[in-house]
Amino acid sequence: MLIEAIEAILFPGFLFTLGLGFLFEWLERKIAAHMQGRVGPLVAGPHGILQPIADLLKLLYKEEIVPGFADVTIYRIAPSLYFLAPILGMLFIPVAGIRAVATFDMDLLFIIFLLAYSAFVVVILSFASASPYTTVASGRLVLQYVSYEIPLVIAMVTAGVFSHSLSIAGIVEAQSTAWNILYMPFGFVVFIVALMAELEKPPFDIPSAKTEIVAGWLTEFSGRALAFLKLTKEVSLVFGAGLAVSLFLGGPLGPVPTDQILASVAYTAYFLVKLLVVVLLIFVLRSAMARLRIAQASEFFWKILTPLALAQLAFVIILGGM
Amino acid sequence: MAEPKETRKEAGAGLVQYSTENLVPFGPIHPALKEPEYFKLYLRGETIVDVIPRIGYVHRGLEKAAEQRRWTQNTYMFERTCGICSFAHSLAYVQAVEGLTPYEVPQRALYIRLIVAELERIHSHLLWVGLLGHWAGFDTLFMWVWRDREIVLDLVEAIAGNRVHKSLATIAGVKKDIPDSMKNKIVERTKHLADRAYFYKGIVDTETTLLARTRKVGILKAETAQKLCAVGPLVRAAGLAIDVRADDPYAAYGDVPIDVVTRSEGDVFSLLHVRLDEIVTAANAIDYAVSQMPGGPIRLKIPPNIPAGEYASHIEAPRGELFYFVKSNGTAIPERVKARTPTLANLPTALELLKGQTMADVPVVLTAIDPCFGCMDRLSFVDLDSQKQWSWGGEELRQYGIKRYFPERKT
Repeated sequence: MLIEAIEAILFPGFLFTLGLGFLFEWLERKIAAHMQGRVGPLVAGPHGILQPIADLLKLLYKEEIVPGFADVTIYRIAPSLYFLAPILGMLFIPVAGIRAVATFDMDLLFIIFLLAYSAFVVVILSFASASPYTTVASGRLVLQYVSYEIPLVIAMVTAGVFSHSLSIAGIVEAQSTAWNILYMPFGFVVFIVALMAELEKPPFDIPSAKTEIVAGWLTEFSGRALAFLKLTKEVSLVFGAGLAVSLFLGGPLGPVPTDQILASVAYTAYFLVKLLVVVLLIFVLRSAMARLRIAQASEFFWKILTPLALAQLAFVIILGGM
Repeated sequence: MAEPKETRKEAGAGLVQYSTENLVPFGPIHPALKEPEYFKLYLRGETIVDVIPRIGYVHRGLEKAAEQRRWTQNTYMFERTCGICSFAHSLAYVQAVEGLTPYEVPQRALYIRLIVAELERIHSHLLWVGLLGHWAGFDTLFMWVWRDREIVLDLVEAIAGNRVHKSLATIAGVKKDIPDSMKNKIVERTKHLADRAYFYKGIVDTETTLLARTRKVGILKAETAQKLCAVGPLVRAAGLAIDVRADDPYAAYGDVPIDVVTRSEGDVFSLLHVRLDEIVTAANAIDYAVSQMPGGPIRLKIPPNIPAGEYASHIEAPRGELFYFVKSNGTAIPERVKARTPTLANLPTALELLKGQTMADVPVVLTAIDPCFGCMDRLSFVDLDSQKQWSWGGEELRQYGIKRYFPERKT
């Protein structure tokens, strides 16, 4: 019981996820800055590595302004509901071994539910703050969600079908001989692109397009609520990338020593390296593109990515049948 | 505008209104606008049904202030009309004043004016290309282009001593000479900038997401452009070869060959091409002008009083045709100065282009004209109900000011 509690709160649960979230936000800003010929965060900590934490603390100090026309109850509750999703999801990702902190037979379905849940919460909180910009943003959010969810879920299910398992741990275990990405490269590509839409990274930062609708669904949030929402975005990146690693890159698997503690360390190291590769891929892609219009994004997901994901699924089914 | 007011409500009061036509305020303070200006966007879903502008947030009363300053002082004040095409404003103004005087401006000064005006064009176009990247959500392009813009700013600083407000043009000449030692540097740097323009053209042509955002967006037809009196790169992108530099040469443009760049599509993509091509032609013109620059004096000394009369001058500012009208009563102070900036000429076109576009295109299309609201804003009164239009003279303004700030004082 104590061990589970420690696992859930310290490692590889809450704090570990949070730390990675901060680290990745710093990395994203640094990489984007260097690609754009800037220096990026520089002041807080060595090379500005503490900047995300400093930003969070600053936001926590700020005054919170609730719009007069907002639905106050939802407006207050929704940020923490939103924060739950990636934190909870992260518990199902195996980090320091094949076993995750929490796992059950069909947890892949639960993960899919969590992704839907977080999109739903964002729409709700966007409507709750009720300004012209958030109204437009929530319309975009819904449309973007129904666009990217289909290929995303197909890509996730493809991994499950191939591994004959609907639990993340089962899928990871099935990759002990060869990673899924070898059999489903297109599934991986579809997953990463759909993930970028889920995380609202350019070119899919449509619901929070700065130059069009101010800050999109974040417009009316300030102070603690904004801090929480921003934190959730960072943690979501860790969760999403962790999912990609587990489903396609063999999770924490790799050659490990026999000693149990050393093996755990090695597993964690493998996981982190793979995670880093995935987030670097996302960061480089996001810096190299312009924002699409919402109609163009939908068209892209439905007309290109969905058939691609379906073809990958068919290929995997045929491969499994042989 | 003719629609009844009740059907249009502020968006955001919940789910119900999203399906109807609703108002999304764009400005006066908005991340896409660098200057305050208000546009009421009426949306149906994501599509724009109507746009109603409300201009005048940055009215500064420059024309009025000009009537209290000497002719030379006004040069520097009008330069401050705009922070980007500052030289264009001072150039148009001094040309208008020179039209009233009998003096012949030295040839060398005309060449220097051309060189600085073209440098400013490069600067302005680079700035716009970068901003377009920013508006379309392509921040990397924005940062790269603005890094290159530093080159031209440094060059301007080397010539004039200042990066933004050159303070170079003066009545009957220019204030600073370009020494021979600097010629190589100018040619080298502008050549480099032309190379960069080609590089950015490559990006614009190949980057799929940017193409998706700019191609077939905000298409301006040549007839519409003519009907709405659009000016500058906007009409050239629509296929009309209208350019004051070629049509009515001023400064040294008569001697220096200028290629008028035109495209036929009229969309934002072709505007990008026109502006990037104009960087190249500007670089060529600078190259030519530097090699052909004649010797001699750079300015004449003239008396402070300007002969009575009226004169209007127009030049091709980076954003389009810029008019200055001056009226003198023979004293050292102008009786009236009037400026018509390209933004004011292009705004009706931009608003027309916005209709039917989606919300996502607003920053791209609205700013395709490269708006400079600070240059544009003027004061005039319009009563929409009676269609009456009037403006205030000095005395009315004075009375208003007294009433506004000293309500207890009797006039």
